[in-house]
Amino acid sequence: MEAQGHHITSVKTLLTVATALIILTIITVIFGYLNFPPPYNVIAAIGIAVVKASLVAMFFMNLYWDKKFNALILVISIIFLSALVGITMLDTMFRHAIIPTFTAG
Amino acid sequence: MADAVAESSHGHDKHVFHHFVDAHQQFDASKMGMWIFLATEILFFGGLFAAYIIFRSWYPQTFVEASDSLNRAIGGINTVVLIISSLTMALAIHYIQRNDKGKTILFLGCTWVLAATFMVIKGFEWSEHFSEGMYAGKAYAYTGVTASHAYIFYSLYYLMTGLHGIHVLVGMGLITWLMIKTKRGQFSSDYFTPVEITGLYWHLVDIIWIFLLPLFYIVA
Repeated sequence: MEAQGHHITSVKTLLTVATALIILTIITVIFGYLNFPPPYNVIAAIGIAVVKASLVAMFFMNLYWDKKFNALILVISIIFLSALVGITMLDTMFRHAIIPTFTAG
Repeated sequence: MADAVAESSHGHDKHVFHHFVDAHQQFDASKMGMWIFLATEILFFGGLFAAYIIFRSWYPQTFVEASDSLNRAIGGINTVVLIISSLTMALAIHYIQRNDKGKTILFLGCTWVLAATFMVIKGFEWSEHFSEGMYAGKAYAYTGVTASHAYIFYSLYYLMTGLHGIHVLVGMGLITWLMIKTKRGQFSSDYFTPVEITGLYWHLVDIIWIFLLPLFYIVA
């Protein structure tokens, strides 16, 4: 099928994924109102967002059936994004004064 | 899943440029090109996500308090609207692959209407923020947050949801173009590359919102 035709995702699969995404969104909003103590609220909210994004990427964006190279492009972009955030934070997390002009409020 | 696999037809090469071996190679090349563009989009938004993470690590209390001033229910409703629009976009691709142009136009139209709904809700939300003085940067005049540097939260909020909103508007333009071309009979189960790659773009816009929801509305 990879060489000869396009994968057509069935309507049932698409509806199942959309239902899962909506349920996860409702759970996210409910968690928001429950006010779990940090850092668990952050972990839960971001964790659910990662699961939702993975569902969209795999089934709506077809990566599950697609050539693995496209998934690799996505993974590489996330690695570079982590490098951007991580290396920047190696600076910003270890300053004595954050930014002199900001301390005035 | 055997019944869900369609055979693409060979020999219909009117859309194939001569530097490609066949329609398949051309389709794969277009799709890979779109994925590379999406990687640049992730890094484009990534700069703002990095700014959010850094400012939040500097002013955690500000972000918690300011985040409370946004309406979680509206954020959730808008997320559901975008998720359903992703579903209708995927259905449009499903039906063009089955050569059903009527349903393709129907579901592209649903996607457009849902995108417009998202923007209208966002517009009402923003105008409510403005009426309370929640402006970005130096114009900030809201008094509901006691922690310092609250204007940074709202600046990031407007930049990130605004850039996302611009992407939604671009997507609406692309969907309009797809509907016109489908109506003119320019897409079929043999050639639907623009529908497929616009779908990829649309789903990425959805994914970005999926992260904006917890960052601005939920994590308080």
